[in-house]
Amino acid sequence: MNKLFRLLIRDLKSSVGLSPYLLISQLIMPLVYIFILGLAFTNVIGEITIGGVAISYVQYLAVGVVFGQLMLSASYAGAMVFFDKRMGMLEQILAGPFKRYEYFSSKMLSVILQGLFGSFLVVLIASPLLIGLRPTPTSALYVLFSLIFASLFFGSLSLFISAYVKTDQTLNIIFNSILPPLTFISSIFYPLEAMPDPLKAIALANPLTYAADIARFGLFRMNSMTFPYAFFLLPLLSTILFILAMHATYRISL
Amino acid sequence: MASLGYAITVKNLTKKYGDEVAVDNISFDVKRGEIFGFIGPNGAGKTTTIRILTTLIPPLSGEAEVLGYNIREDADEIRCRIGYVQQQLSFEYYMTVKDNLDSYGLLWGVTNQQRKQRLKFLVDIFGLTDILNKKALELSLGQRKRLQVAREFMHDMELLFLDEPAVGLDPIVKRALLDFIREKVKKDGITVFFTTHIMSEAEYLCDRIAIIDKGKILACGATDELKKKFDAETVLELVIQEKDENIAKLLESVPNVNNAMLSTDGKSIRISVKDPYSQTPKILNALLNEGYHVAELHVKEPTLEDVFIRAVKRGIKK
Repeated sequence: MNKLFRLLIRDLKSSVGLSPYLLISQLIMPLVYIFILGLAFTNVIGEITIGGVAISYVQYLAVGVVFGQLMLSASYAGAMVFFDKRMGMLEQILAGPFKRYEYFSSKMLSVILQGLFGSFLVVLIASPLLIGLRPTPTSALYVLFSLIFASLFFGSLSLFISAYVKTDQTLNIIFNSILPPLTFISSIFYPLEAMPDPLKAIALANPLTYAADIARFGLFRMNSMTFPYAFFLLPLLSTILFILAMHATYRISL
Repeated sequence: MASLGYAITVKNLTKKYGDEVAVDNISFDVKRGEIFGFIGPNGAGKTTTIRILTTLIPPLSGEAEVLGYNIREDADEIRCRIGYVQQQLSFEYYMTVKDNLDSYGLLWGVTNQQRKQRLKFLVDIFGLTDILNKKALELSLGQRKRLQVAREFMHDMELLFLDEPAVGLDPIVKRALLDFIREKVKKDGITVFFTTHIMSEAEYLCDRIAIIDKGKILACGATDELKKKFDAETVLELVIQEKDENIAKLLESVPNVNNAMLSTDGKSIRISVKDPYSQTPKILNALLNEGYHVAELHVKEPTLEDVFIRAVKRGIKK
């Protein structure tokens, strides 16, 4: 069996073991967001109209929540590097028949797979709201494009942080300081068009905005104000973070 | 460097962390199929040496070959042929004992069937049967260490690095581990590089020993050779009926008696002698002549610990 594949299996098994409750939260939190927050606010907000396309708020939100969940799943997956460091597994693996690039590659693959899995769970939950939607191969490609690059971005971000952090507390503080603002200052819950200008400026630097907007374009042909830059900026930011994460992984001292 | 017949050859190896010298120009060889002990106090440079030899960190200068491969140029060749039990606890905390063993075997590319066989064998040898389905985080320190050591035998290797593997183990498990290692060397012909700061472990297990302190190798050889080299002395322990602080002075006046030390209760005294057979009658006579009564006499052969203390003291004097 290929070394990369063996590392990947180990990483996935280890991640599931580390956070079995994460799977449950991956089901509960989207349920709360979509079926409580979403349906309640649909009565207040009604429809979201962007570029002449109108969809219900709960549909708008459902797509956003998929990416919110993806961000969490990919971030937790990236944080496995921290746990490997702390639990001595990194040293153990690197003293074995593996090179650093193989270890890093397996992490990135794991991040993408876990990100996709997290978002797939939310799609399943939100599926009643998407009934009637007829996704074409092109729309599926848009969604896949945004999911993969968003996983890559958040997985790389988390991996980069994990490579430098030395304690659980620091990791928790950083995650809790970064992830909620990234969620709320993005187009996950509401469109940029409705945001105050200072928040809009921040949201425009947030890859979560681009990822959610690309997916909404794929599914509903909703043309956000981030277009066409989103198609360029999401891969660009993801690639930059990927390189930084790779560099950080290579610099981890044993 | 010629490495025929040697599992490890090290020449003038040095490693620094900032200004601090962790390994200071050390040289030694380890023969194939031997158990080589690397003993020294905490912070002596043992783990740094292992990390260099397992290619985890590069040396500052010097050369080393492991299994005939250069540590700088052939790191991949080395790492796929060695086993490594690190000093720090290391395993998948959130996996069960069974999954830990199986997952580690999988990492090394061991086939499914072999993994099952080895798992069954190791679980039995290392007494892990009752905790097989427990998660590693639920285990005691000793159980975790057993798991960590057992795990390494899930894969094949030519050379095994054991960095303080017996720390935290109870005496019975410790002995079982040392016997298992000895058996493994005998049966499979692997070489073992074993570090410890517990001298009795090294004396029990190792064919040859290197003593390291403050990054320098102070001595290297078989235990008996080292005892001779460092003039390790036999210790006589005498229990005297009379409590008297002058006994030590009296005994030190006997020719060739060194270092007479009275116990705190004043009833026993420890004396170091080079030749216990000729010295003991002289010592007993000296005591009897002065009216002391010896109730008990114990002879303690020199241990590796005595050698170690002497080697370190000589190192400090130099």
